Amino acid sequence: MLGEERKLREGAPTLSGRVSARLANPDIRDEFGLEAMDMNMGPQHPAMHGLLRLILELDGETVVRCDPVMGYLHRCQEKIAENRMYPQIVPLTDRLDYLAGMMNEHGYCLAVEDLLDVEIPPRAEYLRVLVSELMRLASHIPSVGFLMLELGAFTPILYAFREREQIQSYFEAICGARMMFHYIRIGGVKADVPEGLLEEIYEYVDGLGARFQADLVELVVGNEIYISRTKGVGMMTPEQAVEIGVTGPPLRGTGVGFDSRRDYPYSVYPELDFDVITDDAGDVAASFRVRIKEVFESIKIIKQVIEKMPEGAVLGDTGRRLRPKEGDGFGRVESPRGEFAVHVVSDGSDSPYRVHYRDPSFANMMLLQEVIPGHYLPDIMPIMGMIDPVSGGWDK
Amino acid sequence: MALKLPEGDLKKRLDGYLSGFRNRHGLEEGETAGNSVRVTVRPGDIRSVLTTAREDLGIMHLSFITVVDLKGSFGLTYELLDLRGGIVKVRTSIEGTEPVIDSVTRVYPTANWHEREAYDMFGVAFRGHPDLRRTFMWQDHFDHHPLLKEFEINTKRTFEGLR
Repeated sequence: MLGEERKLREGAPTLSGRVSARLANPDIRDEFGLEAMDMNMGPQHPAMHGLLRLILELDGETVVRCDPVMGYLHRCQEKIAENRMYPQIVPLTDRLDYLAGMMNEHGYCLAVEDLLDVEIPPRAEYLRVLVSELMRLASHIPSVGFLMLELGAFTPILYAFREREQIQSYFEAICGARMMFHYIRIGGVKADVPEGLLEEIYEYVDGLGARFQADLVELVVGNEIYISRTKGVGMMTPEQAVEIGVTGPPLRGTGVGFDSRRDYPYSVYPELDFDVITDDAGDVAASFRVRIKEVFESIKIIKQVIEKMPEGAVLGDTGRRLRPKEGDGFGRVESPRGEFAVHVVSDGSDSPYRVHYRDPSFANMMLLQEVIPGHYLPDIMPIMGMIDPVSGGWDK
Repeated sequence: MALKLPEGDLKKRLDGYLSGFRNRHGLEEGETAGNSVRVTVRPGDIRSVLTTAREDLGIMHLSFITVVDLKGSFGLTYELLDLRGGIVKVRTSIEGTEPVIDSVTRVYPTANWHEREAYDMFGVAFRGHPDLRRTFMWQDHFDHHPLLKEFEINTKRTFEGLR
């Protein structure tokens, strides 16, 4: 099986310059007469962020070739969407990248609203931004914990999950669900937030920054083991990162300040004041520095949103039957992992003719194939942590 | 930082992209709408048009490739971003039921996986792709392409050759 797959792979180019002579000729033998060794990692692996199989070719402990095999969680979401009506697809998008459900719903709704003449009430726009930024917090904070768990430290994940649980209970108060929300609807949001909750969230995020700094950042970032495992690992130049198509924190960690919230503005982000964080190092540590600083930016955005929150309705009138005009609708949002884009093709009927999701986990995963060759086997885990992929995202 | 991202007024930049495509490829149907440029090209020109976009116009990011099964032909949309507010949508369509089109992996290396996904789901063969394998479906014993309109969702599929 592995031999066949290797044959298929022959002649494939790599972008990375960090390859040994083994890469050019896999049959080369070392001074002990040993060939390169094939090894399977996953699909059931405790640190694999879901179901992912990596076919690795090892030269001693150096990875010569890394070939990700996807599809273990494939549900063909795009085919299911062709057989559902437009509003029925919104809850399905929660199942894509399940650590960024609100962003997926938002991206899909933007794509359908692109085809409709519906006016979205201002309060709904602010609520969308509020839940999106809470979602970003609930994804960025645990990602630091996950990385440390994979590097062998158990404590940070507990602090990270304490915050995530609290944010999820706010989601439960807002829409009744902790993970599969179905909150953002075509034309607005499902319902207004309960009375007094906005003040409670404001108070919570007000203290979150100091807690996050004390419990997680100071515990993790100065740690010698953390530094030696992440610094200089998974190095990319900005050119390489853009060539591979990486978006999100790994791209911003190389110094390219691309953020859909600022560069392709949607919702009420142009009215809010926030910075796009970049870092110049381009390694795993840099992408985590970006994530940590983005937590503070999200807190800043949530505070502004609650202060500026207008009164009024939360759901625009889309009519009883949703039939967008013929054509193409596009939506693009910044998910915690990068650029999430949706392309909806409508033929004027009740259900879309075609839905295409561009998931950041899928596009960023190409980084494994290009960057890992030349690294040691244990470096795979920090590099996976840099992408922070979600199984539901890359497998659709 | 060595990487140069475009600057200046968005509207002017989009007009620059459109006239760039017109000068080199004579695309009369192109238009700008909002923050995007839309051009429609012949399938044979796709690689040269995207080379123009990458090399001459400096549009660096390929966001995604969408394939649509139009029952008899296939529509392809390549969405390119200049990472600073501008979008270029390049469209083409391939006639026939056995679609073949030039790969753009030499121009945009990120197209590697997007083209593999399109091949997996629609059977679109990308000429010159270095590594055209399935991404999500089984590598062998499965000859179907699930996003084709002729693929009925309630039909039981067989894995030929597999016991």
